[in-house]
Amino acid sequence: MSTASFETIATAGTSPGYWSGVLRRLGRDPVAMFALLVILAMVLMAVFAPLIAPADPYRGQMLRRLRPIGTPGFPLGTDELGRDMLTRLIYGARLSLLMGVTPVFIAFFIGSAIGITAGYLGGKVNTVLMRTVDVFFAFPSVLLAIALSGALGAGIFNGLLSLTIVFIPPIARIAESVTTAVRKIEYVEAARASGASALTIVRVHVLGNVIGPIFVYATGLISVSLILASGLSFLGLGVKPPEPEWGLMLNTLRNAIYVQPWVAALPGAMIFITSISFNLLSDGLRSAMDLKS
Amino acid sequence: MSAPLVEIENLNVRFHGPRTVHAVNGVSLRLEAGETLGILGESGSGKSVTLKTLLRLLPENRTEIGGSVRVDGVDILSLDGRALADHRGGVASMIFQDPMLALDPVYNIGEQIAEAVIRHEGCDKAAGWARALDMLTRVRIPSPERRLKAYPHEMSGGMRQRAMIALALACRPKLLLADEPTTALDATVQIQILLLLRELQREFGMGMIFVTHDIGVAVEVSDRVAVMYAGEIVESGSVRDLIRDPRHPYTKGLLAANLHGAVKGARLQAIPGAPPALDAVPAACSFAPRCPLKLASCDLARPPVAVPAPGRSVRCVLAG
Amino acid sequence: MSAPTSARTTLSTSKAGPSTAGPLLSINGLTKHFPLKGGLFGQSRGVVRAVDGISFDVAEGETLGIVGESGCGKSTTARLLVDLISPDSGSVILGGRTLGVDLTVRDLRRQVQMVFQDSYASLNPRLTMQDAIAFGPMVNGMARDKAVALARDLLARVGLDPGRFAGRYPHELSGGQRQRVNIARALAFSPKIVVLDEAVSALDKSVEAQVLNLLADLKAELGLTYIFISHDLNVVRYMSDRVMVMYLGQVAEIGPVDALYAAPAHPYSQALLAAMPSMDPDRRTMEAPLAGDPPNPINPPPGCRFHTRCRQADAVCSVTVPVLHALPQKGHLASCHLHIPGSGHTGAAPRTELAP
Repeated sequence: MSTASFETIATAGTSPGYWSGVLRRLGRDPVAMFALLVILAMVLMAVFAPLIAPADPYRGQMLRRLRPIGTPGFPLGTDELGRDMLTRLIYGARLSLLMGVTPVFIAFFIGSAIGITAGYLGGKVNTVLMRTVDVFFAFPSVLLAIALSGALGAGIFNGLLSLTIVFIPPIARIAESVTTAVRKIEYVEAARASGASALTIVRVHVLGNVIGPIFVYATGLISVSLILASGLSFLGLGVKPPEPEWGLMLNTLRNAIYVQPWVAALPGAMIFITSISFNLLSDGLRSAMDLKS
Repeated sequence: MSAPLVEIENLNVRFHGPRTVHAVNGVSLRLEAGETLGILGESGSGKSVTLKTLLRLLPENRTEIGGSVRVDGVDILSLDGRALADHRGGVASMIFQDPMLALDPVYNIGEQIAEAVIRHEGCDKAAGWARALDMLTRVRIPSPERRLKAYPHEMSGGMRQRAMIALALACRPKLLLADEPTTALDATVQIQILLLLRELQREFGMGMIFVTHDIGVAVEVSDRVAVMYAGEIVESGSVRDLIRDPRHPYTKGLLAANLHGAVKGARLQAIPGAPPALDAVPAACSFAPRCPLKLASCDLARPPVAVPAPGRSVRCVLAG
Repeated sequence: MSAPTSARTTLSTSKAGPSTAGPLLSINGLTKHFPLKGGLFGQSRGVVRAVDGISFDVAEGETLGIVGESGCGKSTTARLLVDLISPDSGSVILGGRTLGVDLTVRDLRRQVQMVFQDSYASLNPRLTMQDAIAFGPMVNGMARDKAVALARDLLARVGLDPGRFAGRYPHELSGGQRQRVNIARALAFSPKIVVLDEAVSALDKSVEAQVLNLLADLKAELGLTYIFISHDLNVVRYMSDRVMVMYLGQVAEIGPVDALYAAPAHPYSQALLAAMPSMDPDRRTMEAPLAGDPPNPINPPPGCRFHTRCRQADAVCSVTVPVLHALPQKGHLASCHLHIPGSGHTGAAPRTELAP
């Protein structure tokens, strides 16, 4: 029995029919496609920031502080240090998306591995793994992120690390419950009756059927991660000034809320638009992955 | 002779969605007061949909209902609001396959029955509870006083089914609709429930429509039987006529497939193929593709309804 | 559980069936109790006596039907036979080799395969029919192209055109077609025994007949042995050579199908047969043979487990556990005090020299 043969069976079983069907159904969902376009626009904006942005994100002039939206030369106004808001919002997408997506991406792998192991093996392994996860899960995610970041100290890497730790427990929980449900279905029993090893069964029969729901859930967490990352920056943990990051910008502009409320609200609007787009995309993905529809 | 209790004329039910499903196609049937009609059919035959139409239980926004449905002289399709609420449970009520879905898990049995009686008859609480106790006694639940306070999850499967029947009959409906109420039960419990329904139907003098896929069950409870296939009634008549002298090839096939008296080792006369997808109104005989006696004309037009004997009807060109 | 073992000698010497050599499959005192866990630390709150000391033989080429109501242990028995769950005690002997001694689980599973009730849940929704069938042989070392060829061959054998069905997914098939695929998957191992656990129960009657015909054909072609579990007594009668009636984890009665249906000896078998709906409108059932639901297998009644619902129960029935006892008809056994001479039941014959 070669490992390669199972790869072929697994991919033959999943990729052509199933995933193309998912993409086709997703393509027919206007809301999800709009959300995807918004996210793509954000990503492009982050990647090509130096080309798009009209000014230097770090250089400001004290003379033109807190100009309103529509000022000539500064279409979205300027911040409390006289830097161009449009430029800083465009550059902000870089760190904000990094802080929003990376922790969820890493936690998706670690959490899935923990959850699938606990779910498939069950018994004592499940109890030990899941009770450990529960300890972290017991804290509100905001509190846990702040506590971890506070302990590790400020900085982008520490921020990413603490957010990753925050997202492992919820993903592991979902992975565990989905796997436990799949393990009890007859096709897994039938595979066991064919004499396959646990690893083979997980790879061919379990993984393909649990990874979808976990992925959808994780996509939904990106919006939470964006907001948490912004929250950390807002509190002075995570990203440090003068780096442009939406949460941090929201923090530094908060004193200007009575002077230029619209300008001060702009970073918040960016966080809102991005996170709601990820939420809508994950909703669309969920219904596109429903085989019975 | 007064008007029939149930009179369905040319009922058509379509479900709209990603694809349209023609669930019921031109069904007409009558039920006299005090009579039991069994509707026999396989999954997707439209038997449950027909039954649910009588209580208007189908999702309003994506269901299109045509034809006329009258229960006790009232046009069901035009009911709304208060009148529909009075109809449901007051004039007609329904029992289901799974009592756990029909009974509310957070109220005990007594509360649920009393509440229904108070709402429909406007009596006081004491009278409601008295009726609840009376109903539990009538459905032969042992120590009914104690069971009044029981919650659905505390009861066994057969007991829950009895409680659901008590709830359905609490307001003395004229019509009881039964949707496979014994399918999920064990054999020795199923026969108890069938006998109970037969007795209660006589005791209350109500009409009953009993939907099932099991011929034996239909024989035990029905006076008349209607056989449904692909949203149409293909044959109807007294249970005696239908069992002893089935005329439609589908009915014959179903009887053979029941294996009652099948000779061991002999090959079964299985109906080949599978029921049609219901994405269009049938233009020909729906059973023709599976029929062993098919004629050329069967593919051309819907067969007319033949009446081979009084009280019988068969939708087949060979029966005329 | 020692009681049924004493009856086993009678069973194997007077067993009905075409085989003259030893039985193909022999089950001895098989027991499985599930602990009921509860509370914060998973402490035990009792045991479900799902299967409690059952013994039976299956001869090569025969079909043994197993009937009983929910909680009687028929599905647990099926899973024990393919070692999906491991027994607490008792032995499974296949072709003279004992599981766990000189028969490995892998060997057992190659020779004993199972078809489940739910045709949809039995198939991985992400695998094509061809891959679903080929999976088993590949796990057991067959090369992919050979396994796929075998799968296509088996699809044709169960009446599904491989050209049309090999690349399809479970949700694109009807229930009857899916169950054919499940049968094909079980056959991919060239098993000696196929355990059919309510395999046709979820199908519509007209489709069920097609699948029963297929099962009969396959049995004749491949010389299979079936263990056919169902709650439908008509289907069991049609399919089986011998029938075993189970009640609360124990064997109530076992015997040749005609003898058992014509003259059921155990009061429970009698009730089960009497509870079948009548097919004659002029002779409807007038009285339910049993009152109430089957009791819970968590705390089964002492003595004969059926005594709480039995109309013929006597004092001895609530105290002494009846053993399987041979009846006059060859190969017909029942565990009821009524049929055990000298058991103390007022309806039983006096003790004779032959009885143990």
